Amino acid sequence: MLLLQTLVDGLILGGVFSLAAVGFSLIFGVMGIVNLTHGIFVVAGAYIAFVMWHHGGIDPLLAIPPIMAVLFAFGYGYQRTVIQWATERASIVASLLVTFGVALMLRNVLQMVFSPDFRSIAPAYSFAGVSLGPIRMDFVRLIGLLTSLVLLLVLGLVLSRSAFGRAIRATAQQPLAASLSGIDVRHVYGLTFGLGAAFAGASGAVIGMMLPFSPAAEGPWTLNAFVVVTLGGVGSPQGALMGGLLLGVISTLTAQYVGPAFTNAMMFLVLVLVLLLRPQGLFGSAFGESR
Amino acid sequence: MSAEPILEGVGVGKEFRGLRAVDAVSFSIPRGSICGLIGPNGAGKSTLFNLITGYYQPTYGSIHFMGERLEGLSTVEIARRGIGRAFQIAKPFASLSVRENVRIGALFGRDGPRDVERTVEEALSLMGLGMLAERAAGELTVGNLRKLEVARAVAARPLLLLADEPCAGLNPAETEEMLACLRRVRTAGTTVWLVEHDMRAVMSISERVFVIDAGEKIAEGTPAEIAADPRVIAAYLGADYVLTEHTRSQLAEQ
Amino acid sequence: MSTRWFAPAPTLLGLCALALLAALPLALTPFEIRVAQQLFLAAAMSLAWNLLGGFAGYWSFGHAAFVGIGAFAAGLVGTRLMPPELAAGWGMGIAVGAGGLASAGIAALIAFPLLRLRGIYFAIAMLGVSQVAGELSANVEWIGGGLGINLPDAAPDWLAPETYFYQLLLGCLAVTFVVAVSVKQSRFGYGLIAIREDEDTARMLGVPTERFKIVAYVLSALLVGVQGALLAYSLGYFTTQSVFRLEFSLNMIVHALIGGIGTLAGPIIGASIMVVLTQVVLGNLLELHLFITGAVVVVMVLAAPGGILGLWHDYKHHRAARRAGAAA
Repeated sequence: MLLLQTLVDGLILGGVFSLAAVGFSLIFGVMGIVNLTHGIFVVAGAYIAFVMWHHGGIDPLLAIPPIMAVLFAFGYGYQRTVIQWATERASIVASLLVTFGVALMLRNVLQMVFSPDFRSIAPAYSFAGVSLGPIRMDFVRLIGLLTSLVLLLVLGLVLSRSAFGRAIRATAQQPLAASLSGIDVRHVYGLTFGLGAAFAGASGAVIGMMLPFSPAAEGPWTLNAFVVVTLGGVGSPQGALMGGLLLGVISTLTAQYVGPAFTNAMMFLVLVLVLLLRPQGLFGSAFGESR
Repeated sequence: MSAEPILEGVGVGKEFRGLRAVDAVSFSIPRGSICGLIGPNGAGKSTLFNLITGYYQPTYGSIHFMGERLEGLSTVEIARRGIGRAFQIAKPFASLSVRENVRIGALFGRDGPRDVERTVEEALSLMGLGMLAERAAGELTVGNLRKLEVARAVAARPLLLLADEPCAGLNPAETEEMLACLRRVRTAGTTVWLVEHDMRAVMSISERVFVIDAGEKIAEGTPAEIAADPRVIAAYLGADYVLTEHTRSQLAEQ
Repeated sequence: MSTRWFAPAPTLLGLCALALLAALPLALTPFEIRVAQQLFLAAAMSLAWNLLGGFAGYWSFGHAAFVGIGAFAAGLVGTRLMPPELAAGWGMGIAVGAGGLASAGIAALIAFPLLRLRGIYFAIAMLGVSQVAGELSANVEWIGGGLGINLPDAAPDWLAPETYFYQLLLGCLAVTFVVAVSVKQSRFGYGLIAIREDEDTARMLGVPTERFKIVAYVLSALLVGVQGALLAYSLGYFTTQSVFRLEFSLNMIVHALIGGIGTLAGPIIGASIMVVLTQVVLGNLLELHLFITGAVVVVMVLAAPGGILGLWHDYKHHRAARRAGAAA
């Protein structure tokens, strides 16, 4: 029963990991940029939800649409300025360093505004739970999982069904051909970045209800996204979901059976093994051989 | 041909997932010669060079260099034994100077580093790059890039130089210059085997020419024999036919 | 080559600079001596990182792993394996050597699989290595990184501890610099640069890429391990938190980036600028250090991807071209 409980906890955690990583995956898949600012987007989402809940009494779930709007705008502007300057003047490696520099700056800003202390969001239903036979699930975590799955589904539909999604996929595979057929590639890159940031922000609101967070949590969340993408494959919500669930289960199993102090160690051990055995990720790239 | 072969292949073949890229090709390169390798696009010329340099391992057949079997050796070991390679797509180290590029060739050449600076100077002057030695490789023109590609390979003091389309993208004057450089390389003691699309160039410089098509060797002989070979004419019929005609008339003039 | 790299004039100049720096503590306040210690250590770390990251192009995001491994190996040898009467003086030398060897040994064990990864994957895998090593040091009881390790005083009676460690870290920087110079000027160094430029072409040219990468990695780990051990002794008491620090990994990269990646002077220039900037100029604005570091990285990448030495090089190139234009 303990095993079953651990697995269920892992899947719930994994669903949130998926949502937190999907934006990173999208940006990496479409632009080839390893966005080290990603964790900032996640933590910023959590802080916006915290402010709205703390000062306005607004439920974190209701805060998701405005959070996504704010982060979409920020992500778009960020890509069209700093990131674009870096990729066009120098290289993809330069963009990696630039996102790293910006992450340090923004972490510092968050620390100055919100202090380096841990925060958490505890809505009224925080302590309610659901029992299914011997398995117990916190209400909040269940809601977090459901929200994550719904948002991943929405993103999947946007990418596969909408004209915007088609433009993104075309640009990811053949940027030159896409621009020749009338797609404004820079605009698409900006929108993709915005979309990635928006979903990261949304995950922040969910994470805020489930786990304590601080500005310094941005580093671990960026790494988490990297691991999820390596496990699941680049560029698709399905890949992020697979990678996230896997990581969630690995994480809770390790905490339960090896010791809570070893979850990161196990995560990286799995990461390095996967990289060595299947450098393209367990499930490959959504955009084929384009990267 | 009186000289003993420096490189000899017997029934060399390479299959990629059932596709025969190179099919039972045999060849023998006389020491001290300049030989040519021609064939239509996709005939397997570069694959054959990749098999010789150990980038791929042959599926069957054997390759001997100076009497030693090459299969199973790594690219590094083969380079050490004295087979140099100039690539079809010139790949100089763009952010390094011309001299540094050539120096890397010399440092990792056959028998390890000896008289490195002198070797570098010789390779630079052999390829006519002395004036450009301090330029960054990334700033060179296409013609000089090709020369650098050959110079870097020559600096390794190879016994055999495999040159993959050294004249591609060059204008007629640059092509002549490249051919003159390759002749100097041979005079300096290196056997040269080149893949070339420019029929006039390959026919004018080679003593022996190998023709492959769809992975198979279809002809081998002196340039005059090749130009008269009906299978070669058939393989090249179409776009290159006129060129072959031209080559034949040129050879008749000589 | 062997005739080129021993140049009398620069060597003499270097020795003079070293002598001057060694005499400097006489004129410095204890605070300034501590800043100089940090500067020497940061420069030495960045130079050692640069052997692999700058020359061979394999960027490690987790070199703090070797700082920590060196520190803990030295700490364990220095406290557990050594009779107390040996602990000061030579005992410290042995412990520091053990730190370097442990670091190099672990690097040698993981080098082959790790160096098959390229680019960002190698970088992140190294980050993972440092994370794993750090957590193990904190949670495995016999290592004792959670509680911390207390090292015996190593400084001799006749020298103030801060001056003693000033001299040791200066010496460490000098040794690291000499190693970097000899690597850069050697056949090995050219091979590493060829790997950075294009690994496949390098192999075709006969560069033994696998062996060179591993040697560069182990050498880099050895140097960083020694630096980590010296850091541990200079701290006296240290925990996992104080040696497996993400900051070390980041600063090694940032300092090289600011000065000029793949150059010899670059890491020293970068470390000098950043240590003086953060410790002296902004010493009272501790809470702004991250912001400043981040901003410097962004500005450097956008405005001067070749670092300060790259800017200087462009400037000279530009002037030479102008002069040539004027002469013609």
